[in-house]
Amino acid sequence: MSEQSLLQVRDLSVSIDNELPILNRINLDIKPGETHVLMGPNGAGKSTLGFTLMGNPHYVVTEGNIIFEGQDITDLSSDKRAKAGMFLSFQNPYEVPGISLSSFIRNAYHAQTGAPVKLLAFQKSLKAAMEILSMDESYADRDLNVGFSGGEKKKAEILQLLMLSPKFAILDETDSGLDVDAVRTVSKGVEEYQKKKDGALLIITHSTKILESLHVDYTHVLVKGNIVHTGDGSLVDEINEHGFERFI
Amino acid sequence: MNTDLNMKVNVLPVFTYNFLHVNDSAINASDIEIEKLSSPKPKEVPQGVSLKSEVSFEEAGQIFRDNKERILSSTGVPGEPNGDTSARDKEQALRTGMGIDVDNLMNSLGVKADVYTVEEGVKVEKPIILSYDMQDGDGALSAHVIHARKNSEVTIIMDITSDNEAKGFLGLSTRILAEEGAKVTVVRSQLLGKEFVHFDDLGGACFEKGAIRVISLELGGKNVWTGCYTNLSEKESDFTSDMGYLRRGDHSLDINYVADHRGKKTNANMQFKGVLMEEAQKTLRFTIDFKNGSSGSAGDEQEDTLLLSQDVINRTMPIILCQEEDVDGRHGATIGQLGEDLLFYMQSRGIDEEEAKRIMIKARLESVARMIPDPELMQRVHYYIQNIV
Amino acid sequence: MADNKQVVADIDRSLYDFKDIENEKDFYRMEEGLTKETVLKVSEEKNDPEWMRDFRLQCLEHYENIKMPNWGPSIEGLDMARISSYVRHKSDMKGKWEDVPEEIKNTFEKLGIPQAERESLAGVGAQYDSELVYHNVKDEVAAQGVIYTDLESALHGEYADMIKEHFMKLVPPTDHKFAALHGAVWSGGSFVYVPKGVKVDIPLQSYFRLNAAGAGQFEHTLIIVDEGADLHFIEGCSAPKYNVANLHAGCVELYVGKNARLRYSTIENWSKNMYNLNTKRAVVEEGGIMEWVSGSFGSHTSYLYPMTILKGDGSKMEFTGITFAGKGQNLDTGAKVVHIGERTSSVISTKSISKDGGIGTYRSSVTIQKTAKKAKASVSCDSLMLDSISRADTIPAMDIRTNDADVGHEAKIGRISDEAVFYLMSRGITEEDAKAMIVSGFANPVSKELPLEYAVEMNNLIKLEMSGH
Repeated sequence: MSEQSLLQVRDLSVSIDNELPILNRINLDIKPGETHVLMGPNGAGKSTLGFTLMGNPHYVVTEGNIIFEGQDITDLSSDKRAKAGMFLSFQNPYEVPGISLSSFIRNAYHAQTGAPVKLLAFQKSLKAAMEILSMDESYADRDLNVGFSGGEKKKAEILQLLMLSPKFAILDETDSGLDVDAVRTVSKGVEEYQKKKDGALLIITHSTKILESLHVDYTHVLVKGNIVHTGDGSLVDEINEHGFERFI
Repeated sequence: MNTDLNMKVNVLPVFTYNFLHVNDSAINASDIEIEKLSSPKPKEVPQGVSLKSEVSFEEAGQIFRDNKERILSSTGVPGEPNGDTSARDKEQALRTGMGIDVDNLMNSLGVKADVYTVEEGVKVEKPIILSYDMQDGDGALSAHVIHARKNSEVTIIMDITSDNEAKGFLGLSTRILAEEGAKVTVVRSQLLGKEFVHFDDLGGACFEKGAIRVISLELGGKNVWTGCYTNLSEKESDFTSDMGYLRRGDHSLDINYVADHRGKKTNANMQFKGVLMEEAQKTLRFTIDFKNGSSGSAGDEQEDTLLLSQDVINRTMPIILCQEEDVDGRHGATIGQLGEDLLFYMQSRGIDEEEAKRIMIKARLESVARMIPDPELMQRVHYYIQNIV
Repeated sequence: MADNKQVVADIDRSLYDFKDIENEKDFYRMEEGLTKETVLKVSEEKNDPEWMRDFRLQCLEHYENIKMPNWGPSIEGLDMARISSYVRHKSDMKGKWEDVPEEIKNTFEKLGIPQAERESLAGVGAQYDSELVYHNVKDEVAAQGVIYTDLESALHGEYADMIKEHFMKLVPPTDHKFAALHGAVWSGGSFVYVPKGVKVDIPLQSYFRLNAAGAGQFEHTLIIVDEGADLHFIEGCSAPKYNVANLHAGCVELYVGKNARLRYSTIENWSKNMYNLNTKRAVVEEGGIMEWVSGSFGSHTSYLYPMTILKGDGSKMEFTGITFAGKGQNLDTGAKVVHIGERTSSVISTKSISKDGGIGTYRSSVTIQKTAKKAKASVSCDSLMLDSISRADTIPAMDIRTNDADVGHEAKIGRISDEAVFYLMSRGITEEDAKAMIVSGFANPVSKELPLEYAVEMNNLIKLEMSGH
C-alpha cells in the first residue's frame, strides 16, 4: 500500500522556538489523484501542518517524518521539495516589488524544470490559465502581489499552481476573505488542477465554501494539534451543518 | 591640468556623535588629471528650450542669487536645530547636497556650465539626453543649470558610462530652478567602470507648485559621492526621488539628501533601494526639514537595503527636523539579509537561495530602472543589471 | 479653565520648587570655579585614597584638554567659574531617618521619599547637594547579601577593590568633557552589589536633591548585578528653580552579569535652570538583560543618552523613554547601543513631546559589530508637536557591519489630530482635558513600564506641563 502513496506523514510532531508542540504525532497518507481536506477550528494547527510539509524552517519537526514518493524529505529545504513536485498556496502571499508576476512564474518554472522556457508557449499557457481564473491579462506584468487585493493574491497563487503543475498541492485557506464570486473562480482553478491525471490535493480550510463544487476523497478534522477524526467527503457536509463541536 | 582634491562634502545638516564618523565625508586625491571642463551636448535642443554654453560656473548661478530671497523665503519664525551646520554652505548661490566645496572646485578650475532654459508653458516631450561616454584615463568636471520657467516641463537624462575596467574621474554639478507649476525630471544612470572616482552634486529650488523629480541608478564606479538639496520654497511644491544602487568589491557610496520644506503643503518623498555585496560600504544621510511655516507639509523617507555579505558596512542617518505642528513626517528602514519568510515563499516555488538572491537584487534595481523614461537606455540598464546577477 | 490652570500650577510649586535657605553655620560650600586647588580640596574633604586623588587630577587634565561637543544644545550659559562643585551639610550621613537634620528631612518629607520607602522600596539613599544624608536598606534585603551604600564608605570598606576595578572603567574620563569633569569632582552617589542568584523583589531607590544655588552635583552610581541576580533600581531627581545656572554631571555605571537582569528607572525633574550633562552606561554579559525606563521632564538643557554594550552572547536591552520639552528647555535625549555578542537584541522605543517653544531632540546610535551575528535591533521614535513655536528633531544613526542582522527603524512626527480632539469633546470633555488625555495616551507605553506611584507622578508631570506651567 505504501508503495502507491504519494505523501506519507508518520507520527509528525512540530514546535516553534522550543515551545510545546503545535502538532502531535500526525499521520496522513495521500495517494496520487486524491483530494484530502483538513478542517478544524482556528488555532488547531492547520497552517502549521501546511508550512511544515513545505519545509518552512521556522517550524521544527521534533518527531516523525515526511515521505514524498518514497523519499524521506523531512530535512529537505523547501526549494528541493518544490522541485520534487510539491506546492503550497500561501494564505498571505508575499509582495515583491520590482519583479512581475509572469517573470516570477517563469523563474520558478525554470528553477523546477531546469529547461529553458519557450517564451511564446509560456505566454500562451499563462494567458489560458489566467482566462480560467478570470484574471485580467495586465496582472501578468504587474509586480508580484504588489497592490493586489486579497482575491487577486489568491488567484495569483492558483495561477502558479496551474502553471507549475505540481504532483501534490497544499491549499492553505485559499477561500478565506473571498466573496462568493471569487471563491467560485478559485475553485474553478482548483478543479482544473484536479483534472490533471494523478494531481493530489490537501485543502486546508476552516469553512466549507471552497469545497462545494469539488470532489473530496477524505476529510480530516484537526483539533488542538491532533487529528481527531477522519472520514470521507460527506463529513464536510456534516461539519457544515453542525460545526466542530462534537470533535472538541 | 593636475589637481589635488581635498574636499569636505555631504555635511550632515545637523552634527551628531563624532565617534560614528558620519558628520561629513572627505574626497581626498592627489595629482588628478582633469582635462575636460565642459559638458556633453544633446543631439538636438528641443523647441522652446535654449542652451547657453560656456558660461562660467559663478555666472551660471546668478539666477539663484537673483532669487535668493524667494528661495529662502520663510513664512515662520526661523529656528536652529541642535548641531546646525547650515552656516557652512551660506555662500553657495544655491545650497547643494554636497556643499560649497564642489562650487569652490568648479570655480577654481574654471569649469564652464551649460544653462538650459525652458520657456514658459513649454512642455518638452522627449527627454534631453546628455551622454557621458567616459574613456580610460579621463578626468572631467561638468556643470549644468536647468531653469524651467512657469508651467514648463522638461526631462534631462545623464547617461554616464565607461568600460567596466576603466579608471578615471568625473565630477558633476546640476542646479535646478523649477518656477511656478514647472516640472523638472533629472535621470542619472551611472554605469562607470570599477576604477572610477565620481561625484554628482545636485541643488534645486521649487516655486509654487513647482516639482523636481530625481531618478538615480548608482551601479558603477569605485568611490561615489552624491548629494541633493532641494528647497521647497513655495506652497505645494514637490520633491520626489528614487535611487537604486549596487555596491560590490571595495566600492563605496556616500549620500546626502535633504528636503527643505519652507512653503505650505509641500511634499517630499525619498526612496532608496540598494544592495551591498562583498566588502562594499554605504553611508546614507537623508533629512526631512520642516521649517516653521511649512504647515500642511508631508515628508517620507524610506530605505530598503539588502546586505549580501558579512563584510559590508552600512550606515544610515535618517533625520527628521521639525519646527511646525501641522506636518506629517515619516521614516522607515529595513536593513538586513533576505527575509526568512520571503526566502521560504521563493523556495516553496522551487527557487533556491542563490537564485532568490539574484531575483531580489534584480527586483530592487529594476523597480528603479523601469522609471527611466528612455526605452533604449532602460534596455541598456536592464542588460547591465542582468549581467551583474 | 483659567482657574483650573492656577490650581495645577500651585501644586507644581509646592511639589518641587520649595527652597530651604542653607545657612552658613550648617553648610560647607566650596568656592566657585574649577582649579587644581579646588579638586585637591574636594579630595581632601572626602578623605580619598591616594589612587583616587591622583585619578581626580588626571581627570582635571583631560577636562582641560577635551573640547566642548560640536553637536548638541548650546551650553554657553554654563560658566564653570560660577559653579561651586561641592556643597555639604556639616553633619554626617545617617542610617536612621530621625537623625537626619530637620531642614533636610523636611525637604525629603515634602517629596514623599520616607513614605515611599515604608510602602514600596527595599532601600533608599537620599543625597542632598554633594553628599548622601541618609542611606538605609531593609533588613531582609541586607540579609540576602545585597550591598547598598554610599560610594565613599564603599571606597574604604571591604568592597574597595571592587570599586577600584570598576570605577570609571565603563565611562572613562576621556569619553567626553563632562565625564572628565565628573571624574575630577565627583561626590556622593550609591554603590549596589547584588550577589549571584539573588533576586531583589522590590526596588531600591536613590533620590538626588540639589538645593544650593549655583552649584554642581556630581554623584556616581555604581551597580554590579552578579550572575543570575535581579534588581530594579529607581533614580529620582529634583531641584528648586534659581536664576543662576546649576549643573548636574552625574555618572552611572552598570555591570549586568551572566543571565542577570537590571531595570534602571529614572524620573528626572530637575528645575529649569539645570544643565543636565549626565552619562549612563551599562555592559551586559551573556544572557543578561538591561532595561531602561527614562522620563525626562526637567532641566534647562539636557544631554542624556544611556548606552548599553551588549557584550555577551544572547544579551538583551530594552530602552523605553519619554521626553517632554516645554518653555525654555532644550532636551537632547536618546539612547546608544553597541551589539557585540551573537544573538543580541535591542529595542529602543521613545516618545517625545514639544510644547511652548521647547526643543526636543531624539538622538541615538545603533552599532552592530561584525561579531554580532543574528543580532536584532529595532528602533521606533514618535514625536508629538503641540504647537508651532516648538521643535522636535529626530537624529538617529545606524552602523551595521554584518549582513546576518535584522535591523528595523521607524520614526514618525506629527500632532494631535483634530478628529481625536473633536471625538472626545463630543463626549463632553473640555478641549484641554481632551488634549491632556491624548498626550497621556501617547506617553502610556512609557508610564506602564513604571511602578504605579511613579507612573502617577509622571502623569502628574505631564498634566502640569500641559497646563502651561
